[in-house]
Amino acid sequence: MTQSDLRMSPPAARGRALRILVDGQPLDCHEGESLAAALLASGRRFTRYTARASEPRGYFCGMGVCHDCLVTVEGLPNVRACLTPVRDGLRVETQRGLGEWGGLS
Amino acid sequence: MRAAECVVVGGGPAGLAAARTAARHGVRVTLVDDNAELGGQYYRQLPAAFPGTVEARPVREQAEGRRLMDEVRSLGVEVMAGSVAWGIFDQRTVAVATQDETRRIVADTVVLAPGAYDRPVPFPGWTLPGVLTAGGAQNLMKGYRVLPGRRVLVVGSGPLLLVVAHYLLEGGARVVALCEASPMRNLWRYAHRLLPHLNFVQQGRRYRQELIEARVPILTGHVILRATGTTEVTGAAVARCDADWSPIPGSELMLEADAVVVGYGLVSSLELSRLAGCEHRWDQAQGGWVPVRDRDMQSTVPGLFIVGDGAGVAGAAVALEEGHLAGLGVAQRLGRLVGRDHSAEANRARGRLLHLQGFRRVMDEIFRFGPGIYSLADEQTTLCRCEEVTVGEALVAMREGGRHVNEVKAWTRVGMGRCQGRMCGPALAHLVARETGRPVTESGVFTPRPPAKPVTLAALASEG
Repeated sequence: MTQSDLRMSPPAARGRALRILVDGQPLDCHEGESLAAALLASGRRFTRYTARASEPRGYFCGMGVCHDCLVTVEGLPNVRACLTPVRDGLRVETQRGLGEWGGLS
Repeated sequence: MRAAECVVVGGGPAGLAAARTAARHGVRVTLVDDNAELGGQYYRQLPAAFPGTVEARPVREQAEGRRLMDEVRSLGVEVMAGSVAWGIFDQRTVAVATQDETRRIVADTVVLAPGAYDRPVPFPGWTLPGVLTAGGAQNLMKGYRVLPGRRVLVVGSGPLLLVVAHYLLEGGARVVALCEASPMRNLWRYAHRLLPHLNFVQQGRRYRQELIEARVPILTGHVILRATGTTEVTGAAVARCDADWSPIPGSELMLEADAVVVGYGLVSSLELSRLAGCEHRWDQAQGGWVPVRDRDMQSTVPGLFIVGDGAGVAGAAVALEEGHLAGLGVAQRLGRLVGRDHSAEANRARGRLLHLQGFRRVMDEIFRFGPGIYSLADEQTTLCRCEEVTVGEALVAMREGGRHVNEVKAWTRVGMGRCQGRMCGPALAHLVARETGRPVTESGVFTPRPPAKPVTLAALASEG
């Protein structure tokens, strides 16, 4: 973990290191962290662009109520980043609008 | 479909206390919570995957919560964590879903402990990434040990702001300023009423002293005007406000920040109590709706109890006592207290509640909610974050005749998104009141509809 991230405690006090893919780019994080926590810790503030005005949105209520921190996870859109734990190799994409159902064919 | 003696919804202090007391009296309890771990917001634990020994500093409430959760589990309570209670049918049939399946539990008794969330207050820029609620900031810091930013502005009202600032400083962030809407003047008037609650008062003073030592400007009688930035927040304008929390023109102050934490109090989560058909009343001191309850915490639906912040925001200490009372009420209703005199136990809990409510009343007076805060939004401000409906669009609907929140909803889609109106409902009710010149209670509330929280089609399809 770099010094520049926003984690308050050292890596030793966190879960084992793992790596997820955000829009195809690797992001280092720790087991136990939520997707929102991992993204915010790296300084990435937005998870999606809205359908109507294409505005960036991100973590707001932090407890699953506001549905603003939506991301597409493994092809499944509208997943709340604040409630979703990271897993090694998890593929996460910035969601555009209502998202695309990549998992369906 | 299955049967249960008691379903408790919500695994925070209130729900845990209810489950514990009921289970102690031999009631078979099922406890449902949509988080992966119990605890709710107040008792939120560090993730299980974080090694506890390296940083052996769980905060006091996390340790207290851990003990309560262990006790509830050891009493044999069936815990359904990561499960969403998405509806209540026929008064006490609770629909519970996981990612893959849903089932209905026909319960003899139900205890709702759904908690509260930060009162959403629209202002220009409130949708910018980097603007987050006080509860969201707390969860991030307490639950994951991650800071929301490095230079953080904290705005809102109430003691929670001090706690947020405390965690920010502890984590090494700079707190740009703390803007408290309450004027905080003439507090000596409350001295005699606060005397029995010195422990709370001293905790608040310690937090405040910490801020002063860190040279954090504490701006009382100030509200946020707008958050600035294009793709994310870079600062905010704040201004002095009157007793009603309306900003005073000409007192604007610009502050730079990379995160803005907003906490103008909390509102109760009422979706399930409304779906169950419970009666609600407007609570002036809270500036919100609360369910009607008897002295055993029973709602107007027989056998359905409501406790904790989901029945009027009063904090964890009150939640524990209310949960205990509801647990006794459940046991009594199920005939587990026959031949035993539990009235002394219940009365002691009521006495402790009365004592705690004394403190709550002072807090409600000092940090009295000011509806003027709803004047911050301009016509371009987003009202409904989900459906991206602006205040101006809602105003058009009202000027064309909309006089109830549901009419504005049908007109504009406000409140039809994924959050189901939780984020725009309170502000819209105040907008309707202002436009129609009627009290906010006349604006109505969005008709609740199941599912109260999103459920996958796969889960719904699985129901036999």
